[in-house]
Amino acid sequence: MIQTLPHPTLLRYVYNELPANEQQEIEDALLHDSELAEACAEMLLAQRTLDGLARAPRPATTATILQYSRTFLR
Amino acid sequence: MESLQPSDSALIDLYLAGRESAFAQLLQRHQARVFTTIHLVVRDEDLANDLTQDTFIKAIRTLKSGRYQDEGKFGSWLCRIAHNLAIDAFRRAKRAPQTSLDDNIGLANSLHLSEESADDVLTREESHAQLRQLIQELPAAQKEVLLMRHYGDMSFQEIADATGVSINTALGRMRYALINLRKKMAAYSLLYDTNLTPPDVASLRLQRIAS
Repeated sequence: MIQTLPHPTLLRYVYNELPANEQQEIEDALLHDSELAEACAEMLLAQRTLDGLARAPRPATTATILQYSRTFLR
Repeated sequence: MESLQPSDSALIDLYLAGRESAFAQLLQRHQARVFTTIHLVVRDEDLANDLTQDTFIKAIRTLKSGRYQDEGKFGSWLCRIAHNLAIDAFRRAKRAPQTSLDDNIGLANSLHLSEESADDVLTREESHAQLRQLIQELPAAQKEVLLMRHYGDMSFQEIADATGVSINTALGRMRYALINLRKKMAAYSLLYDTNLTPPDVASLRLQRIAS
């Protein structure tokens, strides 16, 4: 199955971009295709790891933006 | 539960009607994504904070001047501004290099906020710093797609439109970005996520469906 379901489709699946019918197709395939499931798990792990890099700006930056918004005149 | 949150479009309407708290919510919702997108390009904490500020100031001006075309993609629009500002700054910095690539500044902040041991936090921060470095080493086109898709929350089609390539090219670049990142991580003995055991496919699948 992994040969017939190209990774681009899997990528769109893990990023929630597939239409419902194609999503269902992938989910069915995941149940029967261990290679595909492994590739999917790999992508989900990559996603989670990349999520770990997310950082917020300093509170002072946020405060400056809010202050600007309050004082900005149209 | 997520559906109980007002949409970006609703918050924009409220903001333009004079409710400042709506903008505070928009800022809260998107600031980490904007900051991370910028930080991964410029790799300088101070500059990333400045450019995050510039991104939102630009957004405020556009919103309040009535020039914003709401197509329900506020987050993507914001991240495109952020990415463009970051790329411009990165190019300027390359022409006049400076020496403050401070990937560990967040460490002091995270130490007292976490219940993990200081060693755990240190190890994780070191891994993240290494991973950020590995992202820098990706070919520019791959890195661009990775940042836009993962942190900018742009769809592959939006990325394709913004970068002037086909959606298949955008998908291919993302795919190679992940493959290359994986290879580089393996070379440095970095794991995807040290909190996880080897892939538990069933739970990951459930997690994805739940999300």
